[in-house]
Formats: sequence, C-alpha cells, structure tokens
Amino acid sequence: MRAEFSLGLSREERTSKPAAPLSAAAEQTVRNGRPSGPLLQLIDVSKYFGKTPALSDVNLTVNRGETVAIVGPSGSGKTTLLRCINFLVAYDSGRILVDGRLVGYREQHGDMIRDTGQHVNDIRKRIGMVFQQFNLFPHRTVLGNLIEGPLYVLGIPRSEAVTRARGALELVGLIDRFDAYPDQLSGGQQQRVAIARALCMEPELMLFDEVTSALDPELVGEVLSVMRQLARKGMTMVVVTHEMEFARHVADRVVFMEASKIVTDQPAGDFFKRPSTPRIEAFLSRLSLPRNSD
Amino acid sequence: MIQFAKDYILLYFEGTLVALGVATLSMVLSVAIGLVGALGRMSGNRPVRSVTSGYVAFFRGIPPLVLLYVVYFGLPSWAQELGIRPLADFLAPLNNRIMSAVVAFGVNSGAYSTEIIRSAIASIHPEQMEAAQSLGMSYWLAMRRIIVPQSARVAFPPLGNEFIAVLKGTSLASVIGVTELMRDAQLVAAATFRNLAAYTLAAVFYVVLVIILQSVVGWLERRLSLVHK
Repeated sequence: MRAEFSLGLSREERTSKPAAPLSAAAEQTVRNGRPSGPLLQLIDVSKYFGKTPALSDVNLTVNRGETVAIVGPSGSGKTTLLRCINFLVAYDSGRILVDGRLVGYREQHGDMIRDTGQHVNDIRKRIGMVFQQFNLFPHRTVLGNLIEGPLYVLGIPRSEAVTRARGALELVGLIDRFDAYPDQLSGGQQQRVAIARALCMEPELMLFDEVTSALDPELVGEVLSVMRQLARKGMTMVVVTHEMEFARHVADRVVFMEASKIVTDQPAGDFFKRPSTPRIEAFLSRLSLPRNSD
Repeated sequence: MIQFAKDYILLYFEGTLVALGVATLSMVLSVAIGLVGALGRMSGNRPVRSVTSGYVAFFRGIPPLVLLYVVYFGLPSWAQELGIRPLADFLAPLNNRIMSAVVAFGVNSGAYSTEIIRSAIASIHPEQMEAAQSLGMSYWLAMRRIIVPQSARVAFPPLGNEFIAVLKGTSLASVIGVTELMRDAQLVAAATFRNLAAYTLAAVFYVVLVIILQSVVGWLERRLSLVHK
C-alpha cells in the first residue's frame, strides 16, 4: 500500500545506475539551451514500466516564458513525461534539469544516485502541477487548499499566505468562493482552484496534465481562459492537452509524441499548417480540425 | 424488581462510570496503537511491516480474557521472579487492576483499530498524496495534513463500533476484581441471592448505555460528514 502513497520518493535510495554519456541530440539540446538559460531541460530521458517503454530518449528544452503543448495519441507517454519533471514518476535514465538543477538524482563519480526526499521537495516547490482530476483537498475550504502549501511547505506567515491566496483567486475569478468546500464547486471551478493552489506557491514552471479532459464541454472554456491569461503573463508552462485550438493559439511550440518518443517539436503555427509526417496529419484529421485556417 | 432497582441503582451507576472510564482509556490506547500500527502496516520498510502485521495477527487471535489474565496475573509476578529491577518497576503499575484492564483491552482492541485505520487510509485516493507531494510536501507532512485528517472521517464510524465492543468487553474485568458494572452486579447477586434481578439490571444498564453511545456516535458522524455543507 505504501508504494501507492510514497511513490518510493520519501527516502534516499542507494540504488545507483551509471550516468549515460550524452547523445548527440542531447549535446545539441544543452548547447542550444545555454545562452538563453532554459528553465527546463530533458536530456535522453527514458522510463520503463516493467519492460514497456513509457519514454524513450526524450529530449526537450523549455525556455523561460514559453508555453509548450504536448499532444499525441493516448498511451504515447505524455503524462509520464510530465510526471517525471516533478519526479512523481522516477525516470530510469537520462537527466532532467530544472533551472540547471538535476531532478531526483545526484551525480556521484559518474553514478546517478537517487536524491534525498528533501531535495526532491525543494524542486517540487518551484513547479506547480495541475491534475486531470483536480485533486483538491476535500476536507479544506478553497482558502484552506490555497494556503496549505505556502504555510506548511514554504513556511510563510498566515497573513501573507492569505494575501497570496486572494490574489490567485482573483486571477482565476473565484474570489467570492473562498470559503466554499471543493464539493460545492463545479468541475470547472474546482480546476480553477487547483490552478490557483499551484500559483500560490509562486512556481517558476507550471505543468498541466490534461486539465480539461474530466470537464463537461461547457466548462472547458473557463479553465482554458485562465491558462491563456497565465501564458500571457509569461508563466512557463508545459501543457499536455487534447485541446488543439488551445495548442494552436496559446502554445509557442507543439510537441507531438507517439509510442514513448517525441516525433516532432515545432512552432505551433507550423505544426498545424504543415504537419511534418503523415502520422501527424492523420492524428489531426481524426480530431477533424480545419488545418489551414488560423 | 422496581424496589430492587431503586435500592441498587446508585451502585450500578458507579459501576457504569468505572466501565466507561476503563473503556475510554482503553480506546485512547487502542487508537494510538492503531495509528502507529496502520502507518507501520503501510510502511515501505519490510521489517516494520512484518512486526505490525504480526502484532495484528497475534492480538486479534488472543481472547481478551486470556490476555487480561496474562497481563494482570502473569506479567508483574514474572518480572518479580526474574529479579530485573527496571523491568519489575516498569511492569509494577500492572498490579493495579484498572491499569491492567486498560492495557489488556487497549492492546487487544489496538489490533482491530490498526486494521480500521489502515483501511481508512487506503481508501483515500492516492492522487491526494500526489497532489500534496506536488506542492513540495514530504510523505509525513502529507500524511499528517492531508491523508490522516481525511481518513479520520472514514475511520470514525467503525471506531465508534469498536468503542462499543470494548465497553461491553470491560465486563470481563470483573474477573480480576475491577468494580465495574458486572462486578457490582455479582456483588449484589451474592448479597441478595437475587441472581436474575441483579444480572438483568446490569444487562439493562449495558443496553441503555450502548444505545446512548450509538446515538452519540451517529450524531458525531453526521456532524463530521456535514461539516462542510
């Protein structure tokens, strides 16, 4: 049972594996990233569930202020990729760097050693995550959900946490519902609270895991509009989504994944106007998107 | 019968209070053991898991009466015979009947509480832990702030039932001379030879007490689940 809860993260593990040398693609990623100072770098990241690959040598760089949409058929590894970034899933090989800091491992004499829980938590504080199923804390009010992290993780004074929470609620347009409990809110409202909860930690990077997939169609818009605002404010965002309109209009880049690999990584406009492979064309046409309009 | 009840009602009330006291203290011990036991049962550490599982298997298997005899008649005199001073001093409080009863019932019920609390924690969706960890919370902070408070609501009704079971179980303490309700009934029966009346009155006291407790538990349960409506 513990495994489900701890995800095996809470204590240092002595299991080590050799740090693989960088591939050519990875060297390129590192070089490209360096001058502009990328916030997030994935270098040759692989993850297996048993013998099934979930991620195979994934390379991705996200610069500050960028919004990157990750799209692709289900089971292609999009969610796993996102969960590796804040180490809710431990990747097996490669490196993930957030602001230059290695996530989840320490390199020692060429070995990758699982990092302590404390270091992992320090990185997680800087990464906000929004889940498909909202995952608000049902026993706390909206305000209680929002101040939980700032109070107990960041250790800031209550008054300051409440001020932050009010600011975040205003941004998501729910300031009047601060004393409601999650089950008194609609799905769309809950998801906006979940975004606000992540924002209260003042993260540098936000991860969105199919955040509109569990919502009734008429509630999708309100959540996307909050995300659009965030992108406009310059938040760095990695968004796993099936909302192609959002990807097209809000994302700077679109990453297409299939079978645990990144197939293309293109500017959003190009991705929709000039699908680079027949496979992407088929994927988009199944979503019946008018490709050539903008 | 009515006259009989009138004559002895005060004594029975006293016994009821003793029974309630023993049951309450036992339950406090039981829940404390249960919380530690549940976390141990869910631990990633195999020896910790084995010890707590062993505790549950062992103490669920021992009849409370047998455990009571072991604790009260067995442990303190065993420590005396061994002649290890600190151990004897440690176990000396068990010469007190009430203390012995609380320990025996608490440790026995703790095995059940462990299972109740474990399943309550397991019933909380794992994504709650992930959400807490994504905010940077450690496993223990997330347990304390997010998981355990939510499971308390789930565990409350079965723990209420457990309390009622422990309360009825306190009648066993009469055999080591704790003057709780059952012991008082025995004393009255011996003095008056009116066995049926003496024990029936005790039964009535138990039934009324349990009915009251059940409605208190039900009321608290509604309060807990309505807390955010």
